[in-house]
Amino acid sequence: MGTIELKNVKKSFGTTDVIKDVSLIAEEGEFVVFVGPSGCGKSTLLRLISGLEETDDGTIHIDGEDVTKLDPYDRNLSMVFQSYALYPHMSVYENIAFALRTARVPKPEIDRKVREAAETLKLTSYLDRKPKDLSGGQRQRVAIGRAIVREPKGFLFDEPLSNLDAALRTQTRIEIAKLHKQLGSTMIYVTHDQIEAMTLADKIVVLKDGQVMQIGSPKELYARPNSTFVAQFIGSPKMNLLPNGSYDGQAMQFNKNVKITVGSVQGKPTVLGVRPEDITLCDPEASELRAKVAIYEFHGADNNVFVDVPGLGNLNIRADGKLDLKDGQSVGLKVDTSQIHYFDDSGARV
Amino acid sequence: MKNRKSNIFRWVVFIIVAFIINFPVISTISASLKSAAEISRSPGLFVSEPTLQNFAVILEVTERLNIFAYLQNSLMASLIGSILPIMLCFPLSYAVARRGYGTNVIFPTVVNLRAMPLIIFAIPLYMMYQTLGLLDTPLGLGLVLAVVNLPLALLLLVNAINDVPYELDEAARMDGARIFTILIKIVFPICLPALATVFIFSFITAWNEFLFGLMLTTTKAVPMTVGASFFFSSGGGGVQWGVAAAVIVVASLPPVVLGILMYKHISRSMTAGAVKG
Repeated sequence: MGTIELKNVKKSFGTTDVIKDVSLIAEEGEFVVFVGPSGCGKSTLLRLISGLEETDDGTIHIDGEDVTKLDPYDRNLSMVFQSYALYPHMSVYENIAFALRTARVPKPEIDRKVREAAETLKLTSYLDRKPKDLSGGQRQRVAIGRAIVREPKGFLFDEPLSNLDAALRTQTRIEIAKLHKQLGSTMIYVTHDQIEAMTLADKIVVLKDGQVMQIGSPKELYARPNSTFVAQFIGSPKMNLLPNGSYDGQAMQFNKNVKITVGSVQGKPTVLGVRPEDITLCDPEASELRAKVAIYEFHGADNNVFVDVPGLGNLNIRADGKLDLKDGQSVGLKVDTSQIHYFDDSGARV
Repeated sequence: MKNRKSNIFRWVVFIIVAFIINFPVISTISASLKSAAEISRSPGLFVSEPTLQNFAVILEVTERLNIFAYLQNSLMASLIGSILPIMLCFPLSYAVARRGYGTNVIFPTVVNLRAMPLIIFAIPLYMMYQTLGLLDTPLGLGLVLAVVNLPLALLLLVNAINDVPYELDEAARMDGARIFTILIKIVFPICLPALATVFIFSFITAWNEFLFGLMLTTTKAVPMTVGASFFFSSGGGGVQWGVAAAVIVVASLPPVVLGILMYKHISRSMTAGAVKG
C-alpha cells in the first residue's frame, strides 16, 4: 500500500505558474526525493500531494484512488515540517497522540502506539517534556514520531533537516534512512541539498521552475544527466561545463589553443561536461591541456583544485590529498574521455 | 564608592517619582482611615488616629445604599463586558488573521470604533434598551460594555493569532483536526496569554466605566462607580470626604486584585519550542 501518482498536476499563485504540468509516480515503499534550487516548486508539489494546497489542474492518486479533492487527513499521509510544527502547549506524549485522539482511537491503543513510536525514536524518557525543553534533534524526532504513529500510507518530509547543525543533520539523515528500511513505507522527501538527495533516495526528481527536469535513481542521474542543469545540480563538486565548442569528428575545439580529443561521438555537441574526478593532473609536457593552479582547497583525503585553463576559464578538479600543489603552478590535465558528457546548445544531452 | 552613591541617588529619585505618581492613591487611602473631624483638622497625609469608621458606614446596608449590590452589579456587567468580546472576537480574529476576511473594511472599522466618543451611542442606546427591556439590568450594561471592549479585543487577538505559526494549523490539519478543533485545541491554548491580557484590560475598562452606568441604570443594576457617588453626600450637609475615600478604596479593590493575580500571564510567551530551534 502506498503508491502515489501525480498526473499532469498544475498550480499557480496569481499569475505565477509554480507547478507546470508535473507527472510522476512514487512506487510502494519507494524513497523519492524532490530536489531543486530555491523557488523550483518542490515544497509546493509536496503540499499539493499532502492536500494543504489545492491543485488547479491534474489529479493525484494514492493506491489508485483519486484523492485530488480530499482533505489532508483523508489522504492518509503524514507530514514532517521544516519547522517541526510541534504543538508548544502539549507534552511530547500529547503531540504524538494528537492525531490518534482526533481519530478517536481507544485510549489503551493510543498509549501503546505512542510508546511504540517513542521507543523507535528513543524518546521514551522525554514523553512528559514540552517541546521547548528539547534540543533541535529531539524536536525533529518528535515531529517524526507524530508522523509514524498514524501508520499512514506514505510520509512527506519538507526539508526536515535544514534547521539542524551539520553533525546532527548527518546523524538524523541516517536515522531517516533506517526508519525507511524499518517501516518500508513510501516516503517523499523535499530538499535543496543534493547530498541528502543522493544518499537517501531510491528515486530523485530534479525540479526547475515548476517542471520536472529528470527522474531517476541517484546513479542514473549522476551517470547520465539529461541536461546541463541536472549535470551541474547533481554531484559535488559540480560538473565542469565547457561551452562554445565545436566537434570536428575527432576532437572538441574550444578556441585556437584548446582542443580535447574525444574520439567518435554521435550528434553535434557544443557543450562538454566532465566531472571533477574524471580529470587528472599530469606533467604539462605530456598533455594537450595545460593550466595553472588558481586555488586549491585541502579536504584531507583529497584536494579540490581550481585550475585556470588559458582561453577556457576555470576547471574544478578532485585530486589526491597527498599531492602537494602550489598556487600558480603549471600542470597538465588528462580528461577521461570515456566519462565525458555531451550536450547541445539548448543544454540537452546529445 | 561611586557606584554606591549613584545607587542611592537612583533610589531617591525612584521613591520621589513613585510618591508623586501614587499621590492620589496614598491620599485617598489616608483619607479613608481618618474621621471627619481629623480630615477637617489636618487634611495632610498623616493619620494620627486611624479609624475604620468610614468603612463601617459604607458596608452598612440601608434602604437607599447597598454597596454589596453595587459590587455584584459591577461584577456581572464587567464579566459580561469582558468575556463576551473574547467569545465573539476569538473566532473573528482567526478568520481575519488566517483567511484575511474583513481585513479591508470590518477590521479597521471595528478597531476605529474605539476612537469614537462613547456619548454618540447614548441616545440611540437608551431608546433601544427601553424597547428591549434592557434598561437598569446588569445584562444591558454588560452588553454595551462588551461593545466598548470589542475593538481592543479584536486588535490584540488578531495580532496574537498572527504570531501563532501557520504550520501548527497545517500540522493539525494533517493530524485530522477540523477548523473547530484547531481553534479550540491548538490556537486557543497558545493564545492564552493574549486572552488573559484582553480579559484583564476589558474587565478593568468595564469596571471603571461610569457614563453608561449612570445613563442606563437607575436602581436595580447600579454599578459600583455610580453607586460610589451616592455615598459622597449620603449623610447630607456637603461631601463626606472620609466616606467617599473609603468607598473609592473598596471600589478599586477588585480590578487591582485581578491585575495582580493575572499579571504574570500577560507577557508570557506560549510558542517557545513550536517551530525551529
